[in-house]
Formats: sequence, structure tokens, C-alpha cells
Amino acid sequence: MNKKLLIAAGLIGAAAVVLSGCSASGGGDEGPVTITYTNFISNDGNEDNLQKIVDAFEKANPDITVDVTTMPYADYGTALQTDLAAGTESDVFDIEYANYAQYQANGVLAPITVANPDAYKKSLLDAYATDGTQYALPSSFSDVVLYYNKDLFDAAGVDYPTADWTWEDEKAAAEKLTDKSQGIWGDHQPVSFYEFYKVLAQNGGQFLSDDGTKVAFNTPAGIEAAHWLVDKSGTVMPTIEQGQGTADFDTNLFKDGKLAMMHTGIWVFGAVADVPNWDIAVEPGNTTQASAVFSNALGVSANSKHPEAAGKWAEFLSSSDTTVDVRLDAGWELPPISDDAKLSTYLDKGAPANRQAVFDSLDGIALPPVVATGQTEMQDIMTEELVEAQSGRKTVEDALKSAEERINAAIAG
Amino acid sequence: MSVSNVQTSLVDRAPVPIRTRPVRSRRQRVGYALTVLAFLLPSAIPLALFVLGPMIAAAGVSLTKWNLLAPPKFVGFDNYANLLTAPQTGAVFLHTLFYIVGYLPLVYVGGLALALALNSRLKGRAFWRSIYFLPVVTSWIVVALVWRWLLNPSTGIVNTVLGFVGIDGPGWWTDPTWAMPSIILASAWKDLGFVMVILLAGLQAINPELEDAARVDGAGWWRRLWSVTLPLLSPSTFFVVVISLINGFQVFDQVYAMTGGGPNGASEVVVQRIYDLTFRYGAAGEASALSWILFVVVLGVTVVQIIGQRRWVTYG
Amino acid sequence: MDERWTARSIVLHVVIIAGAAIMFFPFLWTIITSITPGAGLTQTPALIPENPSLEAYLRLFSERPFGRQIANSLFLAVITTVVQLITSSTAAYAFSRLPFRGRGAVFAVYLATMMIPLQVLVVPLFVELKTFGLINTFLGALLPTFASAFGIFLLRQAVNQVPRELDEAAMLDGAGHFRTFFSIVLPNIRPALATLTVFAFMGSWNSFLWPLVVLRKPELQTLPVALAGLQGQYTTDWDVVMAGSVVSVLPILAIYLFAQKYVIQGVASSGIK
Repeated sequence: MNKKLLIAAGLIGAAAVVLSGCSASGGGDEGPVTITYTNFISNDGNEDNLQKIVDAFEKANPDITVDVTTMPYADYGTALQTDLAAGTESDVFDIEYANYAQYQANGVLAPITVANPDAYKKSLLDAYATDGTQYALPSSFSDVVLYYNKDLFDAAGVDYPTADWTWEDEKAAAEKLTDKSQGIWGDHQPVSFYEFYKVLAQNGGQFLSDDGTKVAFNTPAGIEAAHWLVDKSGTVMPTIEQGQGTADFDTNLFKDGKLAMMHTGIWVFGAVADVPNWDIAVEPGNTTQASAVFSNALGVSANSKHPEAAGKWAEFLSSSDTTVDVRLDAGWELPPISDDAKLSTYLDKGAPANRQAVFDSLDGIALPPVVATGQTEMQDIMTEELVEAQSGRKTVEDALKSAEERINAAIAG
Repeated sequence: MSVSNVQTSLVDRAPVPIRTRPVRSRRQRVGYALTVLAFLLPSAIPLALFVLGPMIAAAGVSLTKWNLLAPPKFVGFDNYANLLTAPQTGAVFLHTLFYIVGYLPLVYVGGLALALALNSRLKGRAFWRSIYFLPVVTSWIVVALVWRWLLNPSTGIVNTVLGFVGIDGPGWWTDPTWAMPSIILASAWKDLGFVMVILLAGLQAINPELEDAARVDGAGWWRRLWSVTLPLLSPSTFFVVVISLINGFQVFDQVYAMTGGGPNGASEVVVQRIYDLTFRYGAAGEASALSWILFVVVLGVTVVQIIGQRRWVTYG
Repeated sequence: MDERWTARSIVLHVVIIAGAAIMFFPFLWTIITSITPGAGLTQTPALIPENPSLEAYLRLFSERPFGRQIANSLFLAVITTVVQLITSSTAAYAFSRLPFRGRGAVFAVYLATMMIPLQVLVVPLFVELKTFGLINTFLGALLPTFASAFGIFLLRQAVNQVPRELDEAAMLDGAGHFRTFFSIVLPNIRPALATLTVFAFMGSWNSFLWPLVVLRKPELQTLPVALAGLQGQYTTDWDVVMAGSVVSVLPILAIYLFAQKYVIQGVASSGIK
């Protein structure tokens, strides 16, 4: 019966030879250059759109080929970090703003020479520069606005939100709009790190100290901002026990016509398109107007063998006219460009009517606080403590104090 | 050569001691050694190369501080010292232990009941077995959704039914005290089919003559279970317990899906901490150290079971 | 037994059916969400979809190389299962029937390989396979799955249950270890082999973390990774995700049904029952 084992072994051996040939590794360095690009930005239905941009780039740069790999967003970080640990990262790869500081500090990103820096919105471009050197290019942005259901406002006799609204106005409206007996809620705003640093800015506070080494939110302004978030739970917004905080909870409530206002990103436009009468407004601030802006960016690997070609591709993908057209046509986030005229077609794409608010929000933005060590821990801790306050297990003051201690320890590195 | 005709008496079996073999010639010993190698190498080589190797590398990593982006920095046993003194380490081990202690009896008893029921003369057994196996193959995204719906503190069925009996249902997965029990319930439910399958295979290896003999002797159903079935099932039970313990210490998917480790870390388990440390908090060295601590714990528990095997397990 | 419909038997049937309904429910929810276009992940399951359509399934296959990804998963799962059956049964035989010095320690080492979480092995393993040049290859995805301590343990228990008299009878007839392995032991552990087939297949089919980091190109990606790709940075098409889940459950069920039959058949013909 040795024979059977030998045959099996032989088959496995043969299969091994065949299988190792089934690799899809990219081309070599002979003559024209091939650069690799790993992304997550196209993975929820925009792969073809990305391909259009790749094709246009390759046409304009016949000696450069772009080899694209697309990964799921949620696990992109795992894959990227594994690559960086092993030295197999692509020439160009996506990063999120929150990770920029850490990657730059660890020498992972190559400096990029930008051919046409004026094409970019200055604030976004600067967000990815350190000490005057550009280390990444913003590739898209989206922001958070206030959605509101006009029908519910009409039924309750409340005036629609305007650009001059403050927290007080929002609170008064929310209370009038809430009718628990009908299951109608006035205002949904998530209780999380992402909301907190923004409402902090809206109240004139700041999350980190100026040198970025410790937190600066445990102040009266900070406590007031935290209350603004936490106090909504159970009064104008469902509690955690009632489902708040689960995936798509707010969107579903809004779609069902049971939520009068919600704070969420512009990426939800498509999901609520069928709600009969809705619109958006710039998020009301308290002492200042500040809207949350999220942005993705492109980095060039510090170990890339073709940094110029990679830089060219990164710039093309982030700011070329092809990209602008493709993105706007597809509703695929907003390109980070400075020329508002080019973005004007965005304003006429159907509901919501007040798309101008998307751009008006950029007048006062709150970028996420970033640190070189402990970024994710900082975010997790802040959200945890706020949720403790929201569930009533801690007072807001205690939650902020605890968050301060824990975060300072985490970012001390 | 066919064995189906070989009649063997399977009653009154004690484990057969290994017979002392007659002294073998050198050639025979070499031949035997080669035989052993031939049987072991197909598994030993992949395990050594692709599991043991990385395990040892991980031990090396555990002596460093490494955020995966920059090269690792040697720090000796700092990671271990930090972990062993940090309260969070004890907390995650405690949560994990709590999970195991709650999960194992539930899933075993439930799986055993299922296996017994579906081993008897029941109409359409194969169909029912498939249905009971479905949750095992359903993804945790869906199972978590269902159980969070069932255990919804305000609208869930469980709390509604409890309300009829006058009990004020807890906050389940939104409540730090009840988060882990929620996960335990969902996990045990999902894995019933797994245990059922293993025990069914074990039940079917038991000679029914033994059960019949006991029945003829007048032993009732319960007595038969304890004196005949369970002892003969003990190899499979042993397997289920060992595997459940090893897997239980490494539980991750269900915790992540049901509570994400919350609320406020109340249900955070060891592997979640390992994953977070490696890929989210840039502390791969500490993660490796934690996993080696976990390893020592699991190894200890398993060794105890293997030694106890002689007392607890009858090989029929 | 002529007590066909005793009270006990009725209760048994009722409990089984009720239990089965509960077991089936999540899967039912998955199916219903998959045929509800534009479905979100709702708090309460909607049992009757408003405008049922198979749009989600069509999108699965048209927007991404899903068919290819299913084929990849199938290929990997089949190879993993076959190889694991071989490596597990041979090791099980050794641990049960071939005494040698230090066998207990070696078995303990085998078991120990199950005790380190994959999350921690991923990075060293990735670096190792990169050194061999096997990143983005099927072989790279497969090699770490070729031996499974779980399978070895499962089969060892089963081989231990095969009466040694059978071995001895065969050896008296002049059979060596290989012959005994093939003709005596293997046929008598068919239920366990079938069980291992199901679990090995399932383990490979549902495996996520390793294929995620090793197989990057869309034409090489496996099913779970492809399904994760359906969840975007901001939004998720849950109906498509559920459709993907439904599709991914079907092959495992098929294997399970197939293995089930084999178990019953195997047991019947081996003369034990």
C-alpha cells in the first residue's frame, strides 16, 4: 500500500508546482514601469469607476502601468500593516486621515512632489503635510450635515433649520418635534469620539493641547459639549436599550419617517433618497460653526522603487479632471479640489435641494485629532467613556475625567 | 481481506495494555522507525513549518516593541511584566473563563440531548440533523443580529416572556453584567449542531448489543445513559471538551459580532485584546506576549485533561 | 418497537420540530433580507418582503467576479479537505497504534499548535511565505492548512475506538502497518472521516484572516473576503451581503448532507451496527 501514498505524494507535488505558478504577481522592471496601487475606496461598487481613471492615466502616461488591488474597507488596515511589516506594500496605497500622523512619524510615507498644488483645497492639502513636506495627497472628502424631515417639521409647526441655527434652536425644535406616543423622535446624534471632537469645536473647545501631548477637553466647554451629546438619549433620541447605536439605526428611523433630524454624513444621500420631503442644513454650532470632515488620502511608500511614477499616479487620481468627472457622475465622494466651479454639477443632482450646505460646511471644519502613538486607543477610550455616560453608569464629568486619564496614558507612547 | 465477518466480543472490554514485543533485530527496528516517520511526516512537516515556526517567531516578537511599521525594538521581558501587572490582562482572562464556564456545559448537554434524540428512531432524521446544523454554518453577522433581536431589552421576545412571569428582564447585551451571558447563550445555541455531529459519530460507533443487553437486564433509560452510553461515548466527549476548551480560550468572532467587547470592555476577551494590540494599537510585541501567556494557560489545562484521560475515558 | 406514537415520542417530535424552527430562523431571515432590495439591517426582522426580487443575487455576480471567487473557495476547500484527511489519518494511526518513545510529548506538541491564536501567527507566517515567494498564490494560502491538529485529534479518538483485536487478527494473517491502516482502520473510522470532511471543508470555506492577507487580487480572493468587501467604508448593501451569505452556505450544506449519508451507509456496511 506504499504505492497509494507515493501516488498521493506525487500528485500533491505536481499540484504544488502548478499552484505556485498560479500567482498573479505584477510585471518586472524591464523598460516601462509598473506601479502597484492598493485601495479600499473603490470597493463598495466603484471598481469600474476606478478603472476608468486608471485607463485615462495610462493613456496619458504610456510608459506607466498601474496594477490595482482592491480590499474590503474594514480589514484594509490589517492587510496594510501586514504588508508594511513584511515589506510587501504597494507603491501607492490609500490611507485615512486618522492614520496619517502615525504613518508619517514611522517613516512609511515618501515625500511627494506635487506638480500642481493649487488644484487642491488648501486646508485638505495642508492636513497631509508635515514640516512643509507633503507626505500624502487627499483623494476625497465627505462631511457631516444635519438632515431634516420637512413633513415632520410642518406637522409640528416648527420652522426649518437655517444656517444661523445654534444648539439652542436645535434643542428647542427637537423637543417640540419629539412625540414618544407616536414613536417620533426629534434628533439623532451618535455618541462617539467622532461626534465629540466636533461638538467640542462647535463649543470653542479643543480635543488636544496645542503640542498634541495631552488632552484638553476636560473643561467647562468640554463638559457642556459632552452633555449636548449625552442628554439627547432618552429625551429626543432613543436610548441604547431601544436600539440606538446599532448599525443603520438612524437611517432606518429616518426612512420610516420617525426621525425629524439626524446628524450623519453625506454618504447617506442615496439611502434616504426615497423619503418624500427632506433636506439638509449645515450643522448648528454653539459658539462656532464646525463641521466634521472626513478625508481619505493616497500615500507613496517610502520603499517604492518608482516614487516619481507613483507620485504622478497619486496626483492624477486625486485631482485630475478625469477623476473629478468620474467622481461627480458616480456620486463617489467629493474630489478635494479648489475649483468650486468644477464641483457645480454636484449641486444639481437631485435630493437634497440644499446641496450647497455640503460646501458651506467647509467654511468651518473640525478635523479629527491625530497623534503619532495611540490613535485608535484614544478613539476607543473616548467612545467607551461617552457611552458609559449615555447609559447612566457614570456622570458626564466622571466620564470626561476618566477619559482624560486614560487617553493621556495611551498617547504618551 | 474483509473484516465484516470477524466476530469479536465487545462486552467486558478493558483497555488493552500494549503487549511487550519480542526483541527485534536492528533491521526490524529501523524498519519500524521508518514506518513511524512515514505515518507522522505528512502532518509533522506542515505543522512544523507553518505553525510551530511562526509560533517561535511570535515568541521572538514578544520580546520586542513593534508597531509593524518601523523595525522591532528589543525590550526583553518588559511586555510580559507589563501584562502580568496590568489589571486589564486579568480582566480579559476572567471574561474568557466566564465564557467557557457558561458555554461548555450548555453546549455539551444541549448537543448530547440532540444527538440522542436524533440517533433514535425518528422520522426524517437526516433532515432534522441538517436543520440543526444550519446555525453552525451561518455567519456570525446574522446570528448576532438574531440574538440581539431576541434579547432586545425593550422589544425582545425573551424579556417579553419574562415580563409575563413578572420578571424585569435585564439589559442583556447593553448591560455590562449581562453582556457575556448574552454571548454565551448565542454561542451555545449556534454550536449545538457541532457537538451533535461529533457525538452522533461517537454514538454510532457504540455497539447496540451493549445497550440491548442493558435493557434486557432491566435498566431504565436514565440508568442506561449513565452506565452504558456515556462511558462508551467518553472518547467523543473527551474530544468535545478538549476542543471546546481550546477554542473557548480563543473565542473571538462571537464576542466581536455581539458586543464588540463592550459595553466598556465588559465582555472583552483575550484574543480580542490580542487582535486590537496587533492591528489597531500598534503593539504587536505585547500581543505576542499575551498570546504566549494564553498558550501556557491553555497548555496547562489541556495537559491536565490528557493526564486525566486515563481515569475518565474508556476506549471501547 | 411497536410503541410508535407514545406520549414520549410525540413530545420528542414536537420538541425537535420547535427546536428546528428556532434553528432555521436566522437562515430564513438571511434569505428574506437577500430578496428585499435596498434592505437595511433592521432591528426587527421583516418576515414578508415588500417587493421581493433576486436583484441582490444578480448584482453579486455582475458587479464583482463572485463566480470566480466561489470557484477559488471551492478549489481551496477541496484540496484542504483531501490533504487534511490524509495527514490526519496517518498521524492518528501513528498516535494510536505505533508506540514510540516520547509519543505523548509529540502529541502534546501537536495539540499545542492549536493553542496560539491565528491573529498572532499571521504576521510571522506572512513574512515566512513572502520569503518563499508564495504571497498571492494558492499554494501560499493552502500550505498552512495542510495539517490540522483538530483533525488529527478527532481521528485519533476514532482510531482508539477501533478494537485492537482487528489489528491483531490482520497482523496474524501477515499484514504490516500500511495494510492494516488501509484495510482495517480506515474503513472502521468512516463516521469520523465523514465528520472531518465536513469540518475541514467548513474551516477552509469560512476561513477569513489568512486568505485576506495572502490572496489580494480579486481573481484570487475567496468568498469570505469577497463578502467583507460588500461592506463599504460608510455604507453597506445588506441585501447583497445576505445574498452572498446564502450562496456561501449552500456548498457546506451539500457537503454535510453528502457526508451524513456516507456516515450511515459506512456504519451499516462495516458490520458494527
